[in-house]
Amino acid sequence: MNAVTYFWLFFKASLFSSGGMGNLPSLHRDLVVRQWATEGQFAESLMIGQISPGPNGLWVVSLGYLTNGATGALLAVIAITIPPFLVLLLERVYRNIKHHPAVSGFVRGMSLAVVGTFTVVLIGMLHGTGSGFQLRGMAIGACALTMAGTRRVPLPLIILGAAVAGVLCY
Amino acid sequence: MSSHQSPFRFFSIWLSLGLQSFGGGVATFALIRDAAVNQHAWISEEEFTHEWAMVLLVPGINLLALTILIGRRARGAPGVVMALVGLMLPSVIMTALITAAYTHIRALRQVQAALKGVVPAIVALGLFTSAQMAQPILKAAYKEGRFSLTLSLVVVVASGLLVACSRVPVVTILLACGLLCGSFQWISARARATPEPIAG
Repeated sequence: MNAVTYFWLFFKASLFSSGGMGNLPSLHRDLVVRQWATEGQFAESLMIGQISPGPNGLWVVSLGYLTNGATGALLAVIAITIPPFLVLLLERVYRNIKHHPAVSGFVRGMSLAVVGTFTVVLIGMLHGTGSGFQLRGMAIGACALTMAGTRRVPLPLIILGAAVAGVLCY
Repeated sequence: MSSHQSPFRFFSIWLSLGLQSFGGGVATFALIRDAAVNQHAWISEEEFTHEWAMVLLVPGINLLALTILIGRRARGAPGVVMALVGLMLPSVIMTALITAAYTHIRALRQVQAALKGVVPAIVALGLFTSAQMAQPILKAAYKEGRFSLTLSLVVVVASGLLVACSRVPVVTILLACGLLCGSFQWISARARATPEPIAG
């Protein structure tokens, strides 16, 4: 595993995306193709990212650790910390471009593409981890969705509930 | 006001925000807002709203970009470093520790069973987040008219299909969709702005 390439994949995915999870589709494609990460490691790091404190975007720290140890975690932290600094550049030109339709359109298009690619990667993860399209899994997913829909149950609690259901069901 | 705070105090405020960030992104956002606007008056309510709008245009974790802006406003470049490190240190360390602990128990049969239960929940939560992200955009597109809505839906479906069936790099797909919608909005805004030819 080449450290420079490894860092670049994390950095590139975070730089050209929106939000803390927008880097998932690109990282998924690049790391799985190189066999530097498995479908299972993605599922595990997303799980840990939901349980652990801080912004959800820190799930990549867990992915870094699982795929490349402490070095991987460190490289991942650096890779996700740099792109937000672009806000300092944006601030200088913001007054002039704030109302420019191309800017809001660009952000909109990118966000919609994150939604599309993200959805495909998630469904692939169901398939790839063997949690698949069976009744038990579907039932757990439906429960999680319902609880999230109420907006009253904290997300880490939903994950813990699903873990308990997993132990009981499998 | 911020000028009365020692650098150590400033750092420890952000450290405590980081330590309290167990509730995830939304809870942390509320904590930062309260600390920056109400408790320490680093920034006015109006400026905060303005800066948040800007943060949404920047790639990566929005909360980090917000922290950079507030840190700089309060104490310049050193403030950026102190605020970022304070906010991230606790949660980054916790995430790494939980991951390290996990690798020791991962092989257990019960852990594998638990993970099998968690994956569908993760996927469901992810789909929920996606829907939440898409909803306001599609709503705005719907108001703009049929073509705008159709274009938005096509972008979602086409980007999904491309990542599923082609080898096009994901970053290329995202950028292409951004450019497509950006130019569409630009062109349609210009079309609206062009005045009707004056008769006679």
